[in-house]
Amino acid sequence: MRVHPCFLGAAAVLAVLAVPATAQQVQVYQLPPGSYPHDVAPAPDGKVWYAAQKHGAIGIFDPKTGQSREVKLGPKSAPHGVIQGPDGAAWLTDGGQNAIVRFDPKTEAIKVWKLPEDTGYTNLNTAAFDKDGVHWFTGQNGIYGRLDPKSGEVKVFKAPKGRGPYGIASTPDGEVYYVSLAGSFLGKIDRATGETKVIEPPTPNQGARRLWSDSQGRLWVSEWNSGNLSMHDPKDGSWKTWKLPGEKPRTYAVYVDERDLVWTTDWGADAVVSFDPKTEKFASYPMSAKGANVRQILGRPGEVWFPESGTERLMVIRTGETQ
Amino acid sequence: MRAGLVIAAVCAASAAHPAGDPARGERVFQYCYSCHSVDAAETATLQGPSLVGIVGRRIAAELGVEYSPALRAFAEKHGRWSEDLLDRYITEPEKVVPQTTMAFPGIEEAGERADLLAFLKTRAR
Repeated sequence: MRVHPCFLGAAAVLAVLAVPATAQQVQVYQLPPGSYPHDVAPAPDGKVWYAAQKHGAIGIFDPKTGQSREVKLGPKSAPHGVIQGPDGAAWLTDGGQNAIVRFDPKTEAIKVWKLPEDTGYTNLNTAAFDKDGVHWFTGQNGIYGRLDPKSGEVKVFKAPKGRGPYGIASTPDGEVYYVSLAGSFLGKIDRATGETKVIEPPTPNQGARRLWSDSQGRLWVSEWNSGNLSMHDPKDGSWKTWKLPGEKPRTYAVYVDERDLVWTTDWGADAVVSFDPKTEKFASYPMSAKGANVRQILGRPGEVWFPESGTERLMVIRTGETQ
Repeated sequence: MRAGLVIAAVCAASAAHPAGDPARGERVFQYCYSCHSVDAAETATLQGPSLVGIVGRRIAAELGVEYSPALRAFAEKHGRWSEDLLDRYITEPEKVVPQTTMAFPGIEEAGERADLLAFLKTRAR
């Protein structure tokens, strides 16, 4: 199924989509020119944060008013990822500063942890917290690492197969996995030693971009090169793989919502593609324009957010109540 | 008179492109490293095209690379990557090629760009 949301520019626009067993609404919001929202994360107060990569800032968007503002993160800042930490703060992986940055939404204080000098430029990518509150991050130049917010200690590890570490996520039991785009593997981090256990996927050279865990701890992986969505179950080591619909899909982002519905973005079709693991069926929704270039997805119950880096818009699908 | 013109031309070129240092440029290349290679024998599947011989090369013309529509349109207009064009592009990619899929904010410092270009020129085909 393919349905069309409307778009109106600066103000929020509403379109109602008919999706099996679910009432859904789509809204699209225009951000200020040059904001280039790379990643997005729901904030604790109903607002939404975005990594304004080209402005070196965190964007704070209020869906109630449709307005946004930005707070600069520091000299040379160029944030790639943003997540909400267990402390309610925004945590950004800032490639420009080669640092992890914390933004306190109450005081708006910014704290910066630079990577060790001898690490060099790492092209910091994405981050996740483990069950002990330790912050783990990836750097596409071939590293991953950990920051202990309590002690401030930063450790960096060389990734297997060199360059490529990209998306990272934690499971409900607090374990941490990441994927390698150039290395085409899924890795489980031993949180005690920092070592990576490489888990080879069934599709060679699949080009894994990102991953997310469902409520059962199964890992869903978006495969750019192959155009697949794949799922690895750590409990039995199994993999399942599905090709996205369309002529030449390019699966970029992946996220699993609170109902275990899987959301992906397909650059080949400029579309959001959801996948229901129960029925193994896809549903497709177009982005607000061609070249929307959604690189990441994140949500909170009832909302799935999509940062359109190509159009500098935020799109949300309000999933409503499951019938 | 002729010598004077040559000197003036050299000065003008130098002003446009300050002499870069290839050794420093190799370090600047770390900005590009995750997606691009300068190794002609590279076997890894990277998201960006090889940068071997990029200076003077036809834009968006490497075999097996899926370029964005934006860069393909840019190629039709500009043809080849001159040093000046590359310098402008890596300063602010999105400004020079709107909707390029290269997710890189750019290199602000002219010295770093000059070093990078000097390094890339050493990686001719």
